[in-house]
This record gives sequence, C-alpha cells and structure tokens, in this order.
Amino acid sequence: MKTIWQKIALAGVSLAALTAAASAGTVRVTVAEYSSKTGPYFAEAEKAFEAANPGIDIQFEVVPWDNLLQKLTTDIAGGSNADLSIIGTRWLVDFVQQGVAAPLDEYITPEFKGRFIDTFLTPSIMDGKTYGLPIAASARAMYYNKSLFEKAGVSEPPKTWAELTDTAKKISALGDGVYGFGLQGKEIETDVYFYYAMWSYGGEIVEADGTSGLDSQAAIDAAKLYKALIDEGATEPGVTSYNREDVQNLFKQGKIGMMMTAPFLSGQIKAEAPDLQYGVAPIPAGPNGDQGTYGVTDSIILFENSQNKAEAWKFLDFLFSTEWRVKFTVNEGFLPVQKEEAADPHFVNDADLKVFASLLPNARFAPVIAGWEEIAEKTSNALQSIYLGQGEVEATLKAAAAEANTVLGK
Amino acid sequence: MRRRNPLPYLLILPSFLLAAAVIIWPVYDLVQIASNDVNRFGQLRGFNDFANFTALFADPNFLAAVGRTALWTVAVVAGAILVSVPVALILNSDFYGRDIARVIVMLPWAVSLTMTAIVWRWALNGESGMLNSGLRALGLIDTNIQWLASASTAFPMEIAIGILVTIPFTTTIFLGGLSSIPGDLYEAASLEGASGWQQFREITLPLLRPFLNIAIVLNTIYVFNSFPIIWVMTQGGPANSTDILVTHLYKLGFRIGQLGQASAVSLVMFALLLFFTIVYVRLAMREERAHQGA
Repeated sequence: MKTIWQKIALAGVSLAALTAAASAGTVRVTVAEYSSKTGPYFAEAEKAFEAANPGIDIQFEVVPWDNLLQKLTTDIAGGSNADLSIIGTRWLVDFVQQGVAAPLDEYITPEFKGRFIDTFLTPSIMDGKTYGLPIAASARAMYYNKSLFEKAGVSEPPKTWAELTDTAKKISALGDGVYGFGLQGKEIETDVYFYYAMWSYGGEIVEADGTSGLDSQAAIDAAKLYKALIDEGATEPGVTSYNREDVQNLFKQGKIGMMMTAPFLSGQIKAEAPDLQYGVAPIPAGPNGDQGTYGVTDSIILFENSQNKAEAWKFLDFLFSTEWRVKFTVNEGFLPVQKEEAADPHFVNDADLKVFASLLPNARFAPVIAGWEEIAEKTSNALQSIYLGQGEVEATLKAAAAEANTVLGK
Repeated sequence: MRRRNPLPYLLILPSFLLAAAVIIWPVYDLVQIASNDVNRFGQLRGFNDFANFTALFADPNFLAAVGRTALWTVAVVAGAILVSVPVALILNSDFYGRDIARVIVMLPWAVSLTMTAIVWRWALNGESGMLNSGLRALGLIDTNIQWLASASTAFPMEIAIGILVTIPFTTTIFLGGLSSIPGDLYEAASLEGASGWQQFREITLPLLRPFLNIAIVLNTIYVFNSFPIIWVMTQGGPANSTDILVTHLYKLGFRIGQLGQASAVSLVMFALLLFFTIVYVRLAMREERAHQGA
C-alpha cells in the first residue's frame, strides 16, 4: 500500500503535468450570458470540441451582458484578458483603434467567408479588414396584441405612424389599465426606441456631413410625435420608469397594444404567456414612406495579445459550423447569420422570424464611430427630459446634437 | 521628557504595511490615471495638465451630483439615526418576545443590498407594483403613482430605502451603547423624581454620545459610497436627475469610457470623505475632552 506521502507526491506530479498541458493550448473565451441557456450551450460546445481536438483546452467565462464591457475594460487594462471574447459590434471601433482586436483575414478562407449572410458580416469589417465574426444578430419589428386590436375595433396592424397614433388612442380608450403604445423611456436602448420613428421620418443618427442628426426636422417631428402620444394617454403612464424588459412584461400581461422589440420576445411569450394572441408586423412608415429597423450584431473577436491564435481560430471554425450555429440561434431566439443556418427548418417555418428577416434590407446598424456609447447616453438623457416635459423638444434636441457633435469632433 | 518606547510602532508596522498595500497603492494608481490622458482600456497616453479635473468641474452633471450626494448622505444618515435611537431604546427594554423583535429588526441586514433594491424596484413599478396596489386597496389613491418615473418621487423613495437598510447596523451600535449604561443611574434618577424624558436627555443621550459619533462617521462613509440602491432602481436617471457621485463615476468609467475623468471623480470623493472624517473626529474629540474637563 502506498503511504500518504507517496500519494501526495504523485498528486503533485500529475498536477504539474496538468498545468503544463493547460498552458500549451489553452484558449480562454469570454462570452455574454444571453439567457439561462447560454452557459450550458457553451459547456456542451467545449466538451465536443475538446473531444475532437485533444491538445486544446477551452475555458469559458460566462459574464452577464450588463457587466461585459466593464469586465473587458478592467481585464484589458490589467492585461489579463481572454483570447476570444464576445463584444457588441458597436464597441468594435474602439477595440480596433486601440489595437486590442486582431484582424482575422489571414485565417479566413473564401469558403469560411461564404458561410455568412453579408448584411451581418459587414458591420465587423473595418478598413477592409475583418475584426470580428457575427455570433448573434437581431432586428426589431412591431409586436401587436390581436385581442386588444379586436376589442378596439381595429383589424389590421398600422402601416404608418398616423395610423399607429389612431390605433393607440383607441386601445387606450378601452381603459382598465390597458394602453395603446408601449414606449420605452429608461436604460439601454432608450435612444433606439426613438430612432424607429426618426428613421421613418427620414432622419439619420449621423448625417452625410458627419454631424449629429438629432437637430434635424425628422428628429424633431419624431420627438413631437412621441410626446403627443404620451400627453394624450396613448402610452403607458410614466414612460421614464419603463426599460425594455418592463415594457415587454406589460405586453406579455396583455396590457399593451403595440411595441417594438427583438425576435426573442416571441420565445418568451411561448414560454410565459402561451395564450397571448399576438402578431408581428413591420415598423410603421413615415409620411414619405420611409421605414427603418434597428439591426444589431454581437461579434466574437480575437485579442491581439493572444498567445494561442491558431488554436483559438480552430475553435472559431468549429463554433461557426452549421450544426452549432443552429443550436445557438434557436436557443437564444436570434436571427440566423449564416446561409446554411437560415435554410434550417427551424427558421424557414417560423412566421415571426419571416417578418424580421423581411425587414433586414432596411436595417440600420449602430454607426461606426468612436464614442458611440457616449452619444447614446446623451441622446437618452435628452429624450427623458422631453418625455418628462422638462425640456422643450427643439431646444433639448439642439443642445443634445451640439453635445453629440463635440463627441463626433465636428 | 520621557524617551518614546518604539515597541508600539513596531507592533503597528505589519498592519500599516498591509493598509499601505491595499489603500495607498490603489490611490497612487488612481492619481496616475486621473492625471494622464487615458484610452478606453485604461492604457496611459501621457500627462495632460489635469485636463480630467478641469473637464469635471466644467460639467454641470458632476456639480449636480456633488450636491445630490450631500443631500443623500445627510438625509439617509440623519434619518437612520433618528429612527434607530427609539428602536434601540425599545429593543433594550424588557418585554415579551424581545428576541424575536430584535431578529426582525436585524433581518434587512442579512439580505444583500442589491436584492433589497431589486425587490423595491418591483414594488414601486407603476402598473403592477405592490405599493400602488396596496395604496389603492386602502383607498388612498385613485390613479397609480409612477414612483420611479421622475426624480421628485424616485429620489425620496431611494432615500427612504437607504434609511431602511441602514437601521439594523445603527441600531446594533446603539444597543451596544445602551447596555454599557449602568442601570443604577436610572434608579437614582427616578428616586430623585426625574421623568422619563429627563432621564433620556440627561443620562441616556450624553452617555450614548461616543456611540452616536461612531454611527455618524461609519454610516456617512458607507452611505456616501453606496451604489446598489440608486443604480438598481433608476441608474441615476431619468436624465441624470438621481445621480450621486458613485453612479456618475460608474457611468463615466464603464459606459462612456472616460477612465481619466472617472478616476478624478473617485479622488474627489476620497478627498471629501477624508476631509469630513478628519474634521468630524477632531470636533468630536475636542467636545469629549471638554466634557471630561468639566
């Protein structure tokens, strides 16, 4: 029988061997937690990949989305960042300008590039180089409550903002804690909720000359439209206390006639409110027929300081195979980013997703500008003042545009 | 003059070194970031003539946050102490079920601050919140109050919750103080015919004085730096109208990516707290010495 000391010595030796192996081909990956299914999905992918590639050890860090940018900032400042990470594609420009993200072009084969739908790959390409691969994509459309529409005597989802105003008022008139239009006025994407209307009126976030579009006539019209909806009781009261999830909750409870949000709400409704009669329609058009939706992608990037780039790429190649893509996209309720993935029966037979996919030609992505988050923050603040009635529409937007122009360097 | 014994200093040295490692080194790091041009990821790009501080003091949101932090700290600390003194007096007196009452008062302490704030955020929801449905059921309101929609209702509610979560700690300090007051003082006083109020003013309050000072200093430090309540409930919004310094700092650093300015804010906070603590402790000590002299 071995003595206790022999056992300890043995354990020590095997531990040493283990750490040596770990440092040879370890790929650390930071991923955002989109839902409770994210962690298990990546654990499964890790197992499958490691079984096929015995020399490589994959280590995942699953981080809540809200803390992701904070974690990456501190990791990068301390030089302890992972090899791969998911980031919001709108942050990519900062990562590229500061030399944090590595270009992937030397690894990308034409076959690999051909797997992607161009619309989704384009936002990750800067100065002709590909710095990220779109791992998650979504767009926005209008959800409407069919039962409330019926009660209010409206048969079709509104096609223009004028019709939307009309319908919203009719639904709010039903009373009993039911409101026509769910307006988001708090936290992340408060600005985006405003852009839906601004784009329909023909506005742009950044105009052709590189200045902010917040002081354009379209922006002013859109803000006046929302303010009028609030004042006439066509939205839920106290919009500045409702973030996206709060408005979605009201919709799931059947208290709201219409709202704009991402495809994942369909999945949530199926799980949490299966009896809700709802439909998905395009975002209404403005007076000149302009229309727009917000497209968002998250990218997975390779860090410039990674010691195991070849191994990391191998894992990316695995992750972007059709089988693993379909699993991920179905789990999270996103839009498929690859052509073969999109042909999967899961997506072809989904009526809601078809509406989202049909809007993609008009989708606008967050503009590629350094300091985008700061502009988003200032825009949201200006909108909150307007919604609360603390600031006059034109003056508030003009002041916000001036601040945004400072950030834009104009 | 007596020669000073070096032994106490030697004994203090290890903990001083530890404190230096955990306090002085990060502060040094902060000074460096605050006085340099810094990129989004904390990499230094050269000294910039204190531009971070100049930008800060030109920012109306920062100045507003300073004022609001003062209001927040004073209101929460004063409120917590005003409530905690009677609570401690009651819990110190002998009554049936006192132990259970003590546990109940201490309970909020056992729940993490973030959880408390999340629960309140739900409770204050305009359409489906507990508070509105409670008030409606009691017939006190007809239409829902949108508690978190504007600062005029959100900030007072945040202060109220701040007071609520500060009570257990403060009460504990006062209970410790009360148990150190000998009972025969009260006996003697009532033999002399002192009323309950007189006993409180002339015996309890003066003898609680050192504990009151501790409660004020420690609570001020905690509350001044308290992040979760305001962040969870309003994120300093709408339109920065409930921002205090820590939430302003967080937005600057991790949302907007101005790490230089964010470090400058935290240095200003450090200086403010240090100043308050030194001034207060000196005043309190002088007063104590004056009492002893009398």
